[in-house]
Amino acid sequence: MSAPEHSLPPGFGSLEPFVSAWALEGADNRLRARLASREADRVAFFEAAKDLLPRGLDYLDRKPLAEHSDQDKRLMRLLLGMAHVALAVEIQGDDEPRHAEGARHMTITRAPSDD
Amino acid sequence: MSMPSPQFLEPKSHDPAHLGTDPVPAGPYYREDYFALEREAIFKRSWLQVGHVCELPEPGTFVVRTIEAAGASILITRGRDGVIRAFHNVCTHRGTQLVAETGGKQSSFTCRYHAWTFGSDGALRGAPDLERFYIEAKDCGLIKIAIDQCAGLLFVNLDREPKQSLRAFLGPLAAELEMLPVAKATTFSEYVYEIDANWKLTYDNFQENYHLQFIHPRSGKAAGGPENPFGYPTRYGFHGPHRTQTIWTNPKPAIMPIQGFAFGKGLPFIAADGFAQAPHNRTYFALFPNFFLIGTPTQHFSHSVIPICASKSRGVIRLYWIGDDRIASQRFAREYAMATALDIHSEDRAVIEAGQRGLSSGALSHIHFQSQEVLCRHFFHSVDSAVQAYKAERAGSART
Ligand code: FES
Ligand SMILES: [Fe+2]
Repeated sequence: MSAPEHSLPPGFGSLEPFVSAWALEGADNRLRARLASREADRVAFFEAAKDLLPRGLDYLDRKPLAEHSDQDKRLMRLLLGMAHVALAVEIQGDDEPRHAEGARHMTITRAPSDD
Repeated sequence: MSMPSPQFLEPKSHDPAHLGTDPVPAGPYYREDYFALEREAIFKRSWLQVGHVCELPEPGTFVVRTIEAAGASILITRGRDGVIRAFHNVCTHRGTQLVAETGGKQSSFTCRYHAWTFGSDGALRGAPDLERFYIEAKDCGLIKIAIDQCAGLLFVNLDREPKQSLRAFLGPLAAELEMLPVAKATTFSEYVYEIDANWKLTYDNFQENYHLQFIHPRSGKAAGGPENPFGYPTRYGFHGPHRTQTIWTNPKPAIMPIQGFAFGKGLPFIAADGFAQAPHNRTYFALFPNFFLIGTPTQHFSHSVIPICASKSRGVIRLYWIGDDRIASQRFAREYAMATALDIHSEDRAVIEAGQRGLSSGALSHIHFQSQEVLCRHFFHSVDSAVQAYKAERAGSART
């Protein structure tokens, strides 16, 4: 299912193409998406999101998490996906495929972001 | 540089823990007979970390924990009186495992076999056709297990009469643990793994820095620097069977932009909780037998290495947090901190398993620890002295 055209809050439209792949519910699903991804897709998302990350968090910080709209929630999940992808792109770089072999054996069973 | 020379600058063959410098026997890291002794000598009679009070926030909440090395399933409840208790998860009628769930909230537990029902205080509340039995309900409560807490961490002891209280077991470390964020934690992130390796071999990996630059070339970059390429600790401490290390602070860590940003996003919350400059921020605690806790408030993780059999273990890592996520920035910082720790832990797995394959071949009679692997040596000595004491005790009671 493709995301609606304006699934994110105003000002973040350039991230729309990444919503369906990366704005996932559940920390373990976000980890799995990173580990199953192709390098080109990771880099494209990372490059598109890295400058918007501070602005996205500032925007979301204006409201308590409980008052977030569906659009806000989607942006939150997308930025949480960025936390995982940033580690792959920025820290692991071309070592990510080898690194992912070990990381596939880890399962995230709980995270505050799952609530 | 005029700074004093900490131990790591000149790793010598000195003997900081007075444990000798001999090679260590390889057998204990793979032999079934040695593991059988560890089960009796350690896992059936030591205080074992099994959880945290925040998992039992209100009366009626419960968790179930499996301790394979003791062959036990443990039911931990918070009663209507607010008291936390632990029981063998075993129906006292004919032994059926009572609770199948891993946790939840309910004030009584009914056995599926013949419907005996127990309260969260362990008492038998009712049994169908009880008058046909030759016993009284008051004598049929669940079998109690010793449980106590320190810094919010729950410990059980499967010895029917533990030789030592938890406080005596932890000694002076108890007061240090109480000063850590975990003592105030209300929630946590958790990830788990299974590994085809002995619990001690697995545990050892996480108490030496000798491997960091080889196994964590990317994720561990900030751990070493030109003045300390291996990232060795600045200090080791030995406290009975437990040990600590003080993590070296890299004056110029190589930090990437998003990494630095994510770390910065978490700091204000750490400061608001009062842990920005806490005294044990650089202390890494290794509690006997199988528990780690790092003081670092930005990545305040515990790691339990739980033996399943001689060559299989399970790891449970938790990052403890104070309060629910308040705003998006905090949620992001916590997710990033968890994913960072997970990346590092996941890189060790393959090489630990390779170590197990090598050891299990029986090719080596001994292994070697250098001075900066002294925590591994101390761990082996702690385990082995428990095993030898148990053997002596058993031999003594066989003679009488
Ligand atoms: S074994 Fe539990 S009620 Fe019979
Ligand atoms: Fe490691």
